[in-house]
Amino acid sequence: MTAFIILSLTYILVKLLPFERPIGGDTQQISYFDKQYNLGYVYRFDHEVPEYGEYLYKTPSNNGRANYYYQVPIIKQYANWLKNIVTKWDWGYSKTFQPNVSASVIIGSRIGYSIRLNILSVIFSVPIGILLGIWAALKKNTMTDHTISTLVMIFISIPSFVLISFVLRIFCYNLGWLPSTWPTDSATTAMKIQGYIIPVFCLSFGSICGYCRFVRAELCEVMESDYLLLARTKGLTRSQAIMRHAMKNAMVPIFPSILAEFIGILGGAMILEQLYGIPGIGKLFILALNYKDYDLLFVDMAIFTTLGLLAGILLDLSYGFIDPRIRMGAKK
Amino acid sequence: MADTKQREIVFRDDDFVLIQKDKRVTDKKLDTKPTTFFKDALRRFCKNKASVAGSIILGILILLTVFVPMLSPCNITMVSTPEAFLAPKLFEAGTGFWDGTRKMEHIVYDVDNEVPALSGRYSVAAIKAALVKIKVDEQPTKIDTANPYGQGGVVVVATDVALDNKNSLMLSRAVDFNVAGEYKLDVIFSDENGVSSSELGEYAVYLKSGDETVMLRDFSRDYSPLSVSISDVLKQAGYDSLRAQIVFEVKSASSNFQYILVESAVISAKDTVKNAEEIAAVSITDATDFINTGDVNSLSYWSCTGRKGIHDSLIYYCDYTIDTYALVYDDADLVTYSATELNNWIEAGYCTYDYTVGPESFVKLTDDCPIDVVESQTVMGITKKLSSITARGFGYKKLGYDKMPKFLFGTDASGFDTFKRAFAGLRTSLFLGVCTAAFCFSFGLVWGAVSGYFGGNVDIWMERFCEILGGVPWIVVMTLCILHLGNNFFTFVLALCLTGWIGTAHRTRSQFYRFKGREYVLASRTLGSTDIRLIFKHILPNSMGTIITSSVLMIPSGIFSEASLAYLNLGLQGKQSFGVMMSNNQPYLGIYPNLVIFPAVVMALMMISFNLFGNGLRDAFNPALKGSE
Repeated sequence: MTAFIILSLTYILVKLLPFERPIGGDTQQISYFDKQYNLGYVYRFDHEVPEYGEYLYKTPSNNGRANYYYQVPIIKQYANWLKNIVTKWDWGYSKTFQPNVSASVIIGSRIGYSIRLNILSVIFSVPIGILLGIWAALKKNTMTDHTISTLVMIFISIPSFVLISFVLRIFCYNLGWLPSTWPTDSATTAMKIQGYIIPVFCLSFGSICGYCRFVRAELCEVMESDYLLLARTKGLTRSQAIMRHAMKNAMVPIFPSILAEFIGILGGAMILEQLYGIPGIGKLFILALNYKDYDLLFVDMAIFTTLGLLAGILLDLSYGFIDPRIRMGAKK
Repeated sequence: MADTKQREIVFRDDDFVLIQKDKRVTDKKLDTKPTTFFKDALRRFCKNKASVAGSIILGILILLTVFVPMLSPCNITMVSTPEAFLAPKLFEAGTGFWDGTRKMEHIVYDVDNEVPALSGRYSVAAIKAALVKIKVDEQPTKIDTANPYGQGGVVVVATDVALDNKNSLMLSRAVDFNVAGEYKLDVIFSDENGVSSSELGEYAVYLKSGDETVMLRDFSRDYSPLSVSISDVLKQAGYDSLRAQIVFEVKSASSNFQYILVESAVISAKDTVKNAEEIAAVSITDATDFINTGDVNSLSYWSCTGRKGIHDSLIYYCDYTIDTYALVYDDADLVTYSATELNNWIEAGYCTYDYTVGPESFVKLTDDCPIDVVESQTVMGITKKLSSITARGFGYKKLGYDKMPKFLFGTDASGFDTFKRAFAGLRTSLFLGVCTAAFCFSFGLVWGAVSGYFGGNVDIWMERFCEILGGVPWIVVMTLCILHLGNNFFTFVLALCLTGWIGTAHRTRSQFYRFKGREYVLASRTLGSTDIRLIFKHILPNSMGTIITSSVLMIPSGIFSEASLAYLNLGLQGKQSFGVMMSNNQPYLGIYPNLVIFPAVVMALMMISFNLFGNGLRDAFNPALKGSE
């Protein structure tokens, strides 16, 4: 429901932007506008209709006859748009970036890169982050803990683009170990694997620090709780008590956040994709913006919005699954 | 327990004294000083050393952002290309660290002038004066491209499939030959195989005059040196004198590229011939120089119908350290400027110059003019237009400085001081952050207070509204705002505020839920307090700490958002912007890392200290932690 309202509002706001003509010759223009006509976003007349305002496009006149295309009122476009999505799963066409290509096709060809990258980074960051957090919590108030906490504090404060700049500088330019841009599709497999190292590292870094801090805080709280003291007094060793009692309870708030991160991180790689030249959906967002390809931009926005909301819902739901104390729809 | 021995204690009456006998017992004023919530928070904040350190650094940075743009005389608005890419300088030159020198590796070496080849921008004398250290490769490197500083190699004449597989002809300019002059042609070929996956081909050398040809070596694969007397050949062919071109023709083949390698082709003659200079110009002596001759009108230019290239041209590379400040600001004795630059100065009214008269016509009109005296000029060969001038005088005084300037972080591509730009940008960002935080704090507070205090349906609807607004990713909000309202400071504040207040509202609401059922609120309510009084006098002061902390932490997130947007090409226009500077400098990360790394360090420092400050504030305001330390 929320997603529907947001997408509708975004759609109308995007449509309110000034109309940008698609690029290309007359054939491309005609094919674009005919498609738009079939989808119900423009009117087509064989004469000028002044009451609809200025025409968007006029086909070259053929024996004095020409087609004129006019913008449909935005509310009607909106209704048609909903109908198209529900009936045909048609999200519109790219105008200037890749003229006349369906937006869903463009997104589909790029989303794979983003997903692969994010899955890899989650795979890396979750175990490392959690282990570091546990280590810091178990050695609370020792040198280890202070070092880890300070490092986490420092790295969590560094903006991502600063981190990427440093990493690129050191590993690509100074040492020359890794490629400084994303390898092309024709690159060798070894090259492609090397190309993943920097993006995955940069993406994981923030999450590692985040998890580490979170796990440390949770575990410290649990370790001071009474039931852990009880567990120790009844004769369990420290490691037994931690493994059987503390860990389980500390993981309760952490696990849902991993699930949410899994989805939410998809949108967070925009700067990385831009700086490293990764052809993902984040980069597409910037390209669509530069090309003033607003239809494509909207679809991209819709993906980010939906992913964000999905992550939120998943977070709420998984609390219920994992923590038996929380029951959805439970009465007081 | 161990002491089992019991002692008998006997109390007598006079052991006890009534201390308050005959005294009036009244309430006493407390001896301890009264403290407020905020005073207590401040005391606890001061105990946290990391936070205090963080706030001190933060304070210094904020002072810098305010005063650096105000006080620094450096220019960050007028593009000044001569000053571009200066190295960062803090100490005097010669200290070896942060002193305005830059180390460059693997740069082409100008063998003739014995300096690194610096794109003709600076005079040789200036480069020599500024050089701190140089190490030239002992062995030259062989390259297959023509470099102005290369030498030697062999000329490659090849056929080209793109040109319909026709024979490739390389033709010299037409030169007069006669029988009496004892003209002679010496050509040395190279028979090295395997140049760019092609093969040595069949070729011929001949003289060509109009449609007539006189063969010097017929089509063959003979790559032995050719030494032939042109005069004798002409005599045999029955000519007395002939104005002809020398032609190397390579036969095409359908399979590979066919090529020949010509090391040199020298025409010689008796000393007495009139056109001795001409034939010397036409001769190919150094392959690299020959290929570098790009001027079609020059005598030494040979046209080619196929492809003409170079193989194994020798080039020296060097590693060097150079004092960039000495290079730009010291009085270089002679510098060459292009005619375009001179015309710009003339148009700007700095000076006048008439190249038909020559260097003595130069008149300096204003102090802005970077040159004092024109020493010489060069004029293009055919068009007789001015191509460049060599002039004297290019020191820091000419660039408007009283003494040698120092740029702490170096300068960027436009010659702007990175130090000042970084802090001017941060000032804008900080201002943006403060504006946003102030708005979000006040609006979110009211929203959250109403929602939390009244609860019920009001709360539900207000929450749904927040949920919808909060569901839009900030990047989408930003983009839409900028697209609709244009790119300016106000739009940025608006876009950040549009969703930013939700966090504050949320926090306020939960705090209100926590406190509104407390006894003291109930007590006040039974005494007839209005809602306003309850909200502002009783509940709000208790929840203030958390809300203030979250609002303070909105400032760095504002700075961060602004910088991130610049990387997405949506940077703030019309004002100095930190993000725009960073993303502009990003392409130079490889060559001039100081342009990115220094501002990045400042930014990271600011973020770290903001976080330390915020954490300290949060702990100080958290009543649960009271007395725990």
